[in-house]
Amino acid sequence: MTAGTAPTVPTTAAPGRKAQLAWPPRAGIRLLRLHAASRRAPAAIAAIAACAIGLRIALLGHWNTYGALQLPLVFEAGAAAAIAVTTASPLGEPERLTGRWLPFLRLATALALTAAAAGALTAAGTGAHLAGGTLDVLRNLAGMTGIGLLCAAALGGRLAWAGPTAYLVVGVYGLQTQWHPPALTTPWIWPARPPHDLGAAICAALVFTIGMAVITARGARDPAGE
Amino acid sequence: MTAVRAPAAARPVHATRGHLRAAARLLRLELRRNAMAWMLPVAAGLFWLTAYHKAMAAPPLWNLRATSMQKGALVAFACPVAGAAAWMGSREARRHTTDLVTITARPRWARLLTTWAATTCWAMMGYLGCVAVLYGVTAQQATWGGPLWWPAAVAAAGLPALSALGFAAGTLIPSRFTAPGAAIAAFFALALSTVLIHGSQSYWQISPLVTGPWDIGPDAGVATFYPYLPDLSIAQMMFFAGLTIAVLGALLLPNGPGGGWLRAAAATATAAGLLAAGTAVALAGTGKLDAHGMIAIPALHDAVNDRPVHYTPVCSGTTIPVCLNPAYTSYLPAATAALAPVLNEIAGLPGAPARISQAAATYQQGIGNSVRASLAGPSISGTPPVLRLLLPDQLLGPGMTTSALATALRASAGPAIVAGVTGDSPGASPAQHAVAAALRMSAGLPQSSPSAPGMQPPTATGPLPIPVRSAAQRFTALPASARHAWLVHHLAALRAGRITLAQLP
Repeated sequence: MTAGTAPTVPTTAAPGRKAQLAWPPRAGIRLLRLHAASRRAPAAIAAIAACAIGLRIALLGHWNTYGALQLPLVFEAGAAAAIAVTTASPLGEPERLTGRWLPFLRLATALALTAAAAGALTAAGTGAHLAGGTLDVLRNLAGMTGIGLLCAAALGGRLAWAGPTAYLVVGVYGLQTQWHPPALTTPWIWPARPPHDLGAAICAALVFTIGMAVITARGARDPAGE
Repeated sequence: MTAVRAPAAARPVHATRGHLRAAARLLRLELRRNAMAWMLPVAAGLFWLTAYHKAMAAPPLWNLRATSMQKGALVAFACPVAGAAAWMGSREARRHTTDLVTITARPRWARLLTTWAATTCWAMMGYLGCVAVLYGVTAQQATWGGPLWWPAAVAAAGLPALSALGFAAGTLIPSRFTAPGAAIAAFFALALSTVLIHGSQSYWQISPLVTGPWDIGPDAGVATFYPYLPDLSIAQMMFFAGLTIAVLGALLLPNGPGGGWLRAAAATATAAGLLAAGTAVALAGTGKLDAHGMIAIPALHDAVNDRPVHYTPVCSGTTIPVCLNPAYTSYLPAATAALAPVLNEIAGLPGAPARISQAAATYQQGIGNSVRASLAGPSISGTPPVLRLLLPDQLLGPGMTTSALATALRASAGPAIVAGVTGDSPGASPAQHAVAAALRMSAGLPQSSPSAPGMQPPTATGPLPIPVRSAAQRFTALPASARHAWLVHHLAALRAGRITLAQLP
């Protein structure tokens, strides 16, 4: 068969205008589903759910002030790390070259997972004494997710967990210094700041926005063989 | 040469050398391609923040810096080590090379142990480098004593255990989510295990973050006048060694070639490891706070460690010398300056102390995690009398800067010294109250302050009666030499309560 004799697909595959309109959304959904599956998004959602359940179970216990403050941070870091590692692509270069919608898919996946994590962790704290409240959860989660996404762009998606987990230690240490001076008061260590602290919220939002922008535009730095 | 002598002796030697060379080559390859090497900057950065930064904020005392380092180092290395080990453990599955490596000459157990060993080697190298920097800087700043190796050894024993746990998780659940999960779980277990500690007989003291009675923070008075008790450190190291062996043994147990001997060896190692870890936990539960502020475990305790450490105190050149433990030499100028006004007032008086000497504190377990620290022995002893006191830094509470310590020392020890000389106490005569108040005013001391532990309580917690206050102001207005001369002649009578307010000049 030569190029000239090959059948032209559009003329045979488009019986009517109605079918032509119905096709793109279905293809878009399929593309989104395939992209989410390639990034292990279902497993990430399961990990986020596990973090939320873990937080809920932990909140049933009796914690001292310091333990109660660092408890949500641990699970927020877990959820942020789960979001960050979903940026790893198993396809690498071929996907980057051919995927026209790839930036939008990356953005949609990261945003959807962040929203799911925020919702799950907030729901886990409902009716229990969640230190810092919902605002604290949203700020810390957004900031640590931003760190994870930046790490994914710099180190690669599968090692992106190093950022949120390292920042977890920094955040917990920042909280500890409120009891044991010298206290760390910089807004860049936002977990150690009160929930309504504007500077800390701005820093966390800035990191989240930059992380989202970088991961949308460039994606994770993953070798194709990984 | 017979057939028995030559080949039979030569072959095993060659085989052993070959195995060792191959194992060394494999370890070298694993070291070159290990994720922990890339995690070292992260771990070092966290160490700088959580251990170095914190230790350097504390006074240059070995006990404070070493115990602070043990906790900070483990917190800093837990996430990177557990995460990197899990990452390395899942490598074969992640790269889809499981089938490929299964048919190589190296057995599974050798491959796994080599990868774990390489990860642990990198972690240990990073940790030792960090410890070397912290101890090196402390050695230049500390004025007395030497490095405490037990806290460093506990943290070092924790790293192989963290590495083994992470590695086992990565091997058994090879997923991209395993490494972050292992890192978070390690941190969670480590940081929040201490929340469950209640009292000095808690099994949770096996947590490597614990160096002494929990919840009291760093205490400069511990392990200065008495040796550092290694009891809890030994139990913690035993626990981590057992845990490491048990985890690695369990990892080698499941399927794969190797024969019955391998399974038997792995099962034995697992059982021995679990036994050691369980015994260590049980030992930690038998610990109790000793009089010197450390956790003593009867089964591991060496009575030699109950003997006080011999030292030559460092003293100021003032009329009444202020003498401190040489570890506190950096505090001497501030302490001398803080006490100088009151010491100038009482110098040369009959019954005045010949020396102010820093003493050891004694500790008692309170309810829950509370601990009481007080002066061990009487506040005044010997002939000529020596006034013994605790520096505020030896008491339980937040760490202090040198200037804060000087202010607290003046506020607590100053009135106590005056009270000791004048015999002032709640039941003393009005004249004693007045003279004590006058001396406090002359020395610029507060009229009301908390008493120094173990020393005479302050004179009056409320305002003095008007006649007493007037007499005190009159006595203060005298020239220092006149005041001193009057006290030299009348202090004995004043202490005996034979002087009335009207007799005061």
